[in-house]
Amino acid sequence: MTKFLAPACLLTTAFLSAPSAAPAQESDSQVRVVVTEGVRARVAVADFQQRGSQEELERHTRLFDDVLWNDLRRAGVFELVPKSFYPLQLPSQPYEVNYEEWTAEDVQAQNLVYGNSYMQRGQFVVEARLIDVNTRESIVGNRYRVDPDEEGVRSLAHRLADEIVLRIGGGVRGIASTQIAFVSNRNGHKEIFTMDYDGYGQKALTNHRSISLTPRWSLDNSRIAYTSYHRGNPDLYFRTVYDQRLIPFSHRGGLTTTPAFAPDGERIAFSSSKTRDPEIYVSDLRGRQLRRLTRARGVDISPVWNPKSGRQIAFVSGRSGSPQIWIMDEDGSNLRRLINEGGEAVSPSWSPDGVHIAFSWRRRLTGRFDIYLLDVVSGRFSQLTRDGANNEHPVWSPDSRHIAYESNRFGSRQIFIMLADGTQKEQLTRQGQNTSPAWSNYFRR
Amino acid sequence: MKNRKFLNLAALCLFALLIAISGGCKKKVPVAPPEEPPPPPPPPKPTATLSANPTTIQKGKSSTLTWSTSNATNVSINQGVGDVSTSGSRSVSPGSSTTYTLTAKGEGGSVTASARVTVTAPPPPPPKPKKREPTVEEMFTKKVKDIYFDYDKSEIRDDARATLAAASEFLKKYPQVSFTIEGHCDERGSEEYNLGLGDRRANSALSHLTSMGISSSRVKTISYGKERPQCTESNESCWQKNRRAHFVLSR
Repeated sequence: MTKFLAPACLLTTAFLSAPSAAPAQESDSQVRVVVTEGVRARVAVADFQQRGSQEELERHTRLFDDVLWNDLRRAGVFELVPKSFYPLQLPSQPYEVNYEEWTAEDVQAQNLVYGNSYMQRGQFVVEARLIDVNTRESIVGNRYRVDPDEEGVRSLAHRLADEIVLRIGGGVRGIASTQIAFVSNRNGHKEIFTMDYDGYGQKALTNHRSISLTPRWSLDNSRIAYTSYHRGNPDLYFRTVYDQRLIPFSHRGGLTTTPAFAPDGERIAFSSSKTRDPEIYVSDLRGRQLRRLTRARGVDISPVWNPKSGRQIAFVSGRSGSPQIWIMDEDGSNLRRLINEGGEAVSPSWSPDGVHIAFSWRRRLTGRFDIYLLDVVSGRFSQLTRDGANNEHPVWSPDSRHIAYESNRFGSRQIFIMLADGTQKEQLTRQGQNTSPAWSNYFRR
Repeated sequence: MKNRKFLNLAALCLFALLIAISGGCKKKVPVAPPEEPPPPPPPPKPTATLSANPTTIQKGKSSTLTWSTSNATNVSINQGVGDVSTSGSRSVSPGSSTTYTLTAKGEGGSVTASARVTVTAPPPPPPKPKKREPTVEEMFTKKVKDIYFDYDKSEIRDDARATLAAASEFLKKYPQVSFTIEGHCDERGSEEYNLGLGDRRANSALSHLTSMGISSSRVKTISYGKERPQCTESNESCWQKNRRAHFVLSR
């Protein structure tokens, strides 16, 4: 009955590869989804050397070191060499690098990140280098400068981390500079919030004092589409992220919700109950050129585009009696159900590389929702959470390596992130109840 | 002879008169007082005060009489209060305005004191709740009741059919009434799917009402999904309360 993903080497498209250290969590499970192909690069990240003695420089440099380390750890594609193994004298400039020390038996770094920091004309400046210790090649040599505040220092570390991941992490850009939108009731009403991908800088995007739900980022991250009741009816709105303008999308009556921006940037799929039954529609961004895609009794909701092809839509339908994930072409044809095992399968999220659909599934045998991963081509699936709590609403990061989701494993509903192989789970929110994460796309550099 | 007798009588009278006059004149003559004990001082007269607080009451309410006396051995208050101690207080509740008089008697006599309690008419009793017609809103709440659904279902159950039949009877009698049907769900499952399910529940209730002749132009539907639970515990009895269609009168 249950088709598990075979060992990772059998994956047709190896978007993920098995970290050799990740053991299967259940004896019957052969699933091992992997984030890097082959062995993870062993990377040393030396604390940056301060050129100056200002208290401010000290503080920013320590924060920078900390954020950079955590970004590279979270990336899931490196094996970071613990700092206690490093030589006592850390390099600040190329001529200070003692290669033998970094290749010594107890360090064995393949790559080294190092550099220096200083204050210049009121700005915090970092000179960063990434080298291959074995070939002594320089891979990255960049100078970054930012306004000296916490936000600036963090964004600087994120930019460097993304660059390092791109260069030695398998050719995919890092996600340290991305954001996550979510729904929080911490101020007494459900409002849309945003935060950095690591949970820092949580702030309210809306202040409707009503019910606001189902946030989704536009392709260029300039807008967040969501459903709000603040004018009485659950309608769809766009909120511009930078100047916070509110643009109504539809007032056709009934429920309008679960927006999904098409990869072409010109269309949007959503669910509307204007016929008194929630169905999937596609229109342009102004709600014109409306096309109805589903015609079935039962809820049709939560559409997601195949981000790679832009030609298919997965969605949740209750037409078979209980909520299940279905898939169809962008014109509504070629309809089929993705999983035939029963239970309740909801909240599909299609990985940006098009290979997998993550979803939450309550199978009869567990009685709880857990996050699963489905290989769209083979139809095999694997389970990513199994902690006895409800784990729901997975969404992919733009690098197809991470998943954000909501879990009540510590009581209240909170947002977590993890690697797509189910490891490195990390809680990002703590205040109030936090649900419905939506991962941004890459920001333009 | 007869005259002599008269003269004798007259003379006797004159003599007696003289003696009488002379005797009267004797008083002006100082005489030594007789030896006697001094008389006791007269007993002091009693005193008394009487007051009422408050002095004005509503009929049926009471006032407190407070009094004090001195040199009294017997104190009483009229108007049915009767004998009382020499000082004290007592609550009275006269039916109409009354002057209470306290009489204090003692060796030295008696004295009275008065206080008046004015009784006003009570406020007019709240008008007997007349048999008024219930408002449309009250009738709506009473006649158009929530209906409940099975898990993950939007089909109208048999118990809900009866509820909707009663509702449609009322709604036909009051064709001017328009209203909103809210669809609600329990906490299980995704927020999004429950938005859709709540929408279907509201519309399922609506289509049942229209099948009984209620015009859909009077009705607005809205889904709250699992966002506005009636009950927040995680058990079936609570979940059942939340799987409902709720009817709200439009204003």
